[in-house]
Amino acid sequence: MTEAANTDIRYQRASNGPISVDDAVLVRQCRRGDSAAMERLVLKYQNRIYNIVLRICANPDDAAELTQETFVKIIENLNTFEGRSSFYTWAFRIAVNLTLNYCQRNAKLVLRSLDAEEEQHDRQARQVLKEFLSDESSPDPAATAQNKELYEVALKALTKLDDAQRTVIVLRDIEGMSYTRIAEVLGVELGTVRSRLSRARSKLRQILEAVLQ
Amino acid sequence: MRQNPDIDELLNSFIDGELTAGQKTEIERLITRNENIAQRLRQLQKCKMLMGSLPRAEAPVSILEGIKASLDGRTMPVERQVTSHVPAVKRHLPARRVLSTAAMIGLVAVLTAVIYTTVGPETVPDVAELIEPRAGVVATSGFSGRLELRTSALVAVDAFINSVIEDSGLSAPVVPTRRQDKRIYSLNCSREDLNLLLVNLEYIWDELDLATLFVNTEEFGRPVAVEAVTTEQISEIVDQDSPERRVKVAKDFAALNSIAEHLPGKEVMAAIDDGDRSLITIPKPVLTGPQKTAEKPSGQAQGAKMVHLTIVVDW
Repeated sequence: MTEAANTDIRYQRASNGPISVDDAVLVRQCRRGDSAAMERLVLKYQNRIYNIVLRICANPDDAAELTQETFVKIIENLNTFEGRSSFYTWAFRIAVNLTLNYCQRNAKLVLRSLDAEEEQHDRQARQVLKEFLSDESSPDPAATAQNKELYEVALKALTKLDDAQRTVIVLRDIEGMSYTRIAEVLGVELGTVRSRLSRARSKLRQILEAVLQ
Repeated sequence: MRQNPDIDELLNSFIDGELTAGQKTEIERLITRNENIAQRLRQLQKCKMLMGSLPRAEAPVSILEGIKASLDGRTMPVERQVTSHVPAVKRHLPARRVLSTAAMIGLVAVLTAVIYTTVGPETVPDVAELIEPRAGVVATSGFSGRLELRTSALVAVDAFINSVIEDSGLSAPVVPTRRQDKRIYSLNCSREDLNLLLVNLEYIWDELDLATLFVNTEEFGRPVAVEAVTTEQISEIVDQDSPERRVKVAKDFAALNSIAEHLPGKEVMAAIDDGDRSLITIPKPVLTGPQKTAEKPSGQAQGAKMVHLTIVVDW
């Protein structure tokens, strides 16, 4: 269960039961205006939501603002949450929609800033990436994460995907959602998730290889 | 290398564990026979691995404060829910009915409590008769009792209680026992710790089908059972400083809860079609005024502030 891997122990324990008592209780308390429950809900999900928003919009300040806006919207609209999907899915849908709207509004700005810093990868970064992409190597993911150069190249490559492709990569490979959950969050068909993810990974590979040229 | 998009989709689904068993076998067969496909699989796997290994960013600490500031002064969800979608007349009518019913129940409850205290049923001997206060026992013995909870969501409620116990720092004094259909927690702690636990347990109280508190009266006879007990009532019983007060308050609550259960409030609630049930829940009685013991015996022993409570959760 990949999604659970990213959550704290208490969240996992509560979610394994027939009902997510933790979320259900927090939501009910929030609806009654319980500010302590609101805090717990925010603290429980803020890191995960901030992380995916940041990876989609690629700007820490904007990500913080969008995360804040997401929670305000969640709390203000708790009464419209009908429980058809899990609270987690509903919350992430709000976060992703807000972030994608933001990306659309700021598309030109983002492109300009990318153009300005285009293709300035130093020799070391290229070497690390070459080793990683080499067909013979099978790098340790933990060691990969600690490799600053590779990490920076990966983030830049991610920003060069279009919004839809970047979002699906973030939800699957970073947040660890299932295809079904991604379809719920994005409000698209399962087949669309498959094809979009396939194109996104293919494009990502092309971008990474282009860095080596 | 350019690949057939359909093959790429299948390979990605294979990497993500999203294929059926048949499709998975087919892809495994293709990989072993076709080196190009095997190579493409490795390429896609590395893309996934690279993205998955990116460090996780943590939200700035200021976010919570920012959210609070943004919400400050705005209408909270519960208020909006009441005022939206429903015409004013239709909205106020159930509220008036509920208020009338609640007032009636309150009046009857108070009268019953007064009558009960004054006269008292013959089968229940007066507390003073039951208690031959042996100074040492009364002064030092804290609350002792059993809380029986019934729920259809045993595993989830168990998980919640465990997390609350951990959060309250009560892990060490609690001895949990797990059976197939039952969870038992044996607590030895201070009143303050128990009250903290009760505040948290209130979050799941609505998930329970049944909650009964048995107040031990070993010195005085059989335990007193308080059915449909609330966390506030438990707290008030436990906070009494002497066993005889605990027994008395428990009996009062038992009587009041029984009256509340049998009064026609439930029918009125059922007759109201729409609206949030939580808004019209008839509150459980809470003893106030002279019923609540204010006087604390001087030189009270520390033992009187200790609590032994066994929580039994079953389904």
